[in-house]
Amino acid sequence: MTQADVELPAGLDQAFGAVAGELGQATSSWLFVRAVARCAGDRAVEGLADTAGPQFVVLDAVARGWLAGVREQVVDPRPVLEAIGSATRLVVVGVEATFLDALVARINPAVKIAMIAHSPFAVDWDRVLDNYGGRVERVDLDTFQHWAGGKSALLTFAYGQNDSRTIVAPLWLRACGADVRAQFRALVGWNVLEAPMNLYPRWLVEVDVDSFTHFVPGT
Amino acid sequence: MPPHRSAPSTAFIDPSRIDAILASAVPDAEDRAFVVRCILGEGPAHHRGVNYVLLRLLGLLVDRLGGADMAALRERGTMPVPMKVPPHLERQGSLMTYPLALPIAPLSELAPAATPEQSAMVECLSDGPPQHALANAAMVWLIGAALDRIGERPPASARTSTRPRTKSSAPPKR
Repeated sequence: MTQADVELPAGLDQAFGAVAGELGQATSSWLFVRAVARCAGDRAVEGLADTAGPQFVVLDAVARGWLAGVREQVVDPRPVLEAIGSATRLVVVGVEATFLDALVARINPAVKIAMIAHSPFAVDWDRVLDNYGGRVERVDLDTFQHWAGGKSALLTFAYGQNDSRTIVAPLWLRACGADVRAQFRALVGWNVLEAPMNLYPRWLVEVDVDSFTHFVPGT
Repeated sequence: MPPHRSAPSTAFIDPSRIDAILASAVPDAEDRAFVVRCILGEGPAHHRGVNYVLLRLLGLLVDRLGGADMAALRERGTMPVPMKVPPHLERQGSLMTYPLALPIAPLSELAPAATPEQSAMVECLSDGPPQHALANAAMVWLIGAALDRIGERPPASARTSTRPRTKSSAPPKR
């Protein structure tokens, strides 16, 4: 089956880029895959992967997973809450709305949460943070160390695991330098992708799983 | 150019050993994990290896002297080990510190408390990157514990020797 068999609206990849900035690549991928499958069936999901997958490898992974039978996104914040432990400050590096929503709903209300407002996509950060009703504060890449401390944790989202390696947004490397590593008690990676990627992780970067103090695997 | 040298192996590092040594200095397990990571997991390999070796040796010393009484050491005062962040990123009214403090009593063996000399010692020990500052603090805890144990012992002249007594030999003739 090829994309030629299925009519997909033009500009889906552009639309995906617009949404991914504010919702996150995994969250947006599930949104698009479900919508395309509902409207045009699994053939169209394959077409979506063929068309937009090379540019957006997380979308490719979610679409291929869908075709292989993975129809539910697993979102369980409990291991992440364990990893964060008794930290009183949490800085989130990157966006994955579905996962962050679940985490914010369960986390101790006394824990202060911030998100680094930095993305390769065009993002309206006020709109992103308005979703959390003031619960999540905005910090910038050059000032987030204001939140550092012996009771502070840094969290990012990871996209699949292949043995000892995982994939993260480049922002994680910008944020989690040698200085910052010793300023946050927990460096948490939350794998939000059920299966490893098949494509070269374009626009993302590979890191050692061991570089996190806590790595929460996917299913 | 200097010859190329690869980083030394640190395969001998077993963080659980240092975690155990610091258990009573940093009772909270999460706090201790952070401190142990900074001492053994961050920074250049040779520093991490040195930290491990010296802390293990000091741990052995304290064990052979009868174990550490960290609570007693803590009661005599500590100074925070500050977390170094750029000045414009410091939180006002909230001291950014590591969960391992620096015990003061051992330093009072060298300089009276609250003197400029002791303050300078504290500054030297707690300055620098965390793999130095925290390892320094951990070592002062162990040295302090060892000094306390030695201080509890009667002077050598008052101790009964367990060695077999032998006749003292005459001093050598000139």
